[in-house]
Amino acid sequence: MISSPTQTNPKPEPGRGKAAKALAEMAGLLRGPHRVFPLLLKLTSDRIRTSFEPRHLYAYASTTRPSEEALRLLVGWIRAAQRRDGGIAAYYSLLTGYSESYPEVTGYIVPTLYDFGRSASDAASIAAAEQATRWLLSLQMPSGAFPAGLHGEGAQPSVFNTGQILFGLVRAHSETASADILKRAAAAGDFLAGVQSEDGSWGGIGAYQGSAHTYYSMVSWALAQLAEITQDRRHAHTAERNLDWVLKHCEPSGWIDGINLRGHPTYLHFIAYAIQGVLECGILLRRNDAIEAARNSAWVLLRKFETHKHLYGAYQADFKFGSHFACLTGNAQMSCVWLRLFEITGDLRYLNAALKMNELLKRLLPVRGRSGVAGGVAGSYPVWGAYQPLRYISWGCKFLADALLLEQRLLQKYEACELEAAPCVS
Amino acid sequence: MRVVVLCSSPYSETGCAMAARLAQLGYVPSGALTLPAADKSTLIRKLGQWGLRGSARYAWSKLAPRGAAPQSQVRNPHLGPALRHDGRVLRNLTEVAQAYGFPIFSSAEQNSPRAIAQLRQWSPDLAIFTGGDILRKPLLDVPRLGVINSHLALLPEIRGMSSPEWSLLCGVPLGVTIHFMDTGIDTGPILLRREFPHAGDCDSLMELRNRMIAFGIEMAGEAVAALDRGSLAATAQEARGEDQGKDHGKDHGKDRQFFVMHDRLKAQAAHRLQQLRPAPLAGRANG
Repeated sequence: MISSPTQTNPKPEPGRGKAAKALAEMAGLLRGPHRVFPLLLKLTSDRIRTSFEPRHLYAYASTTRPSEEALRLLVGWIRAAQRRDGGIAAYYSLLTGYSESYPEVTGYIVPTLYDFGRSASDAASIAAAEQATRWLLSLQMPSGAFPAGLHGEGAQPSVFNTGQILFGLVRAHSETASADILKRAAAAGDFLAGVQSEDGSWGGIGAYQGSAHTYYSMVSWALAQLAEITQDRRHAHTAERNLDWVLKHCEPSGWIDGINLRGHPTYLHFIAYAIQGVLECGILLRRNDAIEAARNSAWVLLRKFETHKHLYGAYQADFKFGSHFACLTGNAQMSCVWLRLFEITGDLRYLNAALKMNELLKRLLPVRGRSGVAGGVAGSYPVWGAYQPLRYISWGCKFLADALLLEQRLLQKYEACELEAAPCVS
Repeated sequence: MRVVVLCSSPYSETGCAMAARLAQLGYVPSGALTLPAADKSTLIRKLGQWGLRGSARYAWSKLAPRGAAPQSQVRNPHLGPALRHDGRVLRNLTEVAQAYGFPIFSSAEQNSPRAIAQLRQWSPDLAIFTGGDILRKPLLDVPRLGVINSHLALLPEIRGMSSPEWSLLCGVPLGVTIHFMDTGIDTGPILLRREFPHAGDCDSLMELRNRMIAFGIEMAGEAVAALDRGSLAATAQEARGEDQGKDHGKDHGKDRQFFVMHDRLKAQAAHRLQQLRPAPLAGRANG
């Protein structure tokens, strides 16, 4: 069973299950022998790169590839991954090819397509966003919820997917002013408000693994966005209650407890989700305590990145130990967080770290290759790392595109002296 | 006063100039501890810093037979006076050591037991750091007074890397600080702290750095002499202890550590430097 790609498998798999899954994926090569060469090429290039890559003080401090070119590659990958139904595939596997459309990531890719379409005057990206929105609307359940998993896997409502799809609907509404989209978005918000637990978490109906998770701060962020356009206090209140619950899990060390993925390491992807959700929700709800908590966590990871020149793909509590691979989408998400912190604090060290992180990620983008490979962001670096091994993932492309779009916007402002950079030293 | 110099490479001009300047001031080093010339991490760092072409040019200027490279070639022209000796330019630590008569010891790591044992043999009162590894406590504890460093920014405002560039971008006056080193990053007690008065004469960041390095060497020499006379005392850095060596972000607002600056920001720092240059006089501009 292929399950929710960003949330990984719903249940911890016993060893035999994992082996069976690996065998099934390997069998994909028999059905698509044309994928053998790209697979070998990627394995070889990552092997060579990891052997010789210099990790020194000056790494990634100079520009090697213009961000505009990288953005075109990333959006090109996303558009190639758009399936006939309008949804975006979760991933391109070097073993089995494209997956089915995936509602969750299609939802939050919609704003990225609009952002790129507007900044590059690219009508095709806007058309792709509109097509994706139509597909998403066709999936909504009578309760207002959206389903879990890949398209066609079942019809269980999912809190997290509903939240991420809300990003797409809110943006589509602000682009089109469609009353129907607003109504559907409000229904999704009502579902989220209705299933929230007393303590502000989402741990019951529609919760992944049936338990509460702090990275659902991403759901609160979407709800806070919705509240901005509906002016519905209920949506804002639901977001705020969840934010309060998440903030109780923020440790002085910067660690956000309660990510709570049974049977899986705490990947950077989920840590970054939690931080980004707290930060953005804090900004929208004008909650300085949330901004400060997110800044605390982001600063710890910034220091680690600047000191060691990489972030680990997964961490243990209090960031004490890491796993020796990179979770590229988590890196791109941290870049987004640092850029936003630069935007709101003026501390240039966040911009500096994000610029370097973006350089690192741009260097790893394949420029050439078949559809599904060129312009793709791998789950892990090296590609056989633990997070989404041997796959190029659509949400990796989305978060890197977001980071590069933010970088462009903020650098433009900064370099034109429109953005008054506050002194870095308080 | 027995002093030793710690260098990042036998070809480090800063290290060579520091050792030579101390000798000129009457403090011939008891020894110089250096990382090896062909150290892998140094080579990779230099490749990243200067690129392949720049590194090849540098290697040629240092390693070429004397007839092939001009004798007066110095990457940092402001170190020329310190490096000149008997009508020639001293091009590496071996030449400086021969000219002034002190031993050199090469070690792949400055913190290694071998290096520390050698340092103990020299029994220095003071060590002057001009580059290399992050120094650990066992080494820092060897010299009687400690290890001093010339930091190219005012402390405690700007700590860490790319400090002149960060000073420009953060609106902190350019300056040099001579301080004792401890296990934190630029957190040790301050001996001398002086604003840099020649920023307006610099037309590039490289020129600024070169001038500040020369300025720092003069200040370090002054600090050594003053410590020898007993006329200089160190003062603890403001808020010291709150933020040193911190890996967790609780006090990130107070954390003044800066990191290697990206080229896009360096371009902005260069722009700020240009703004410090005096505007040409109207009469002169009109010819």
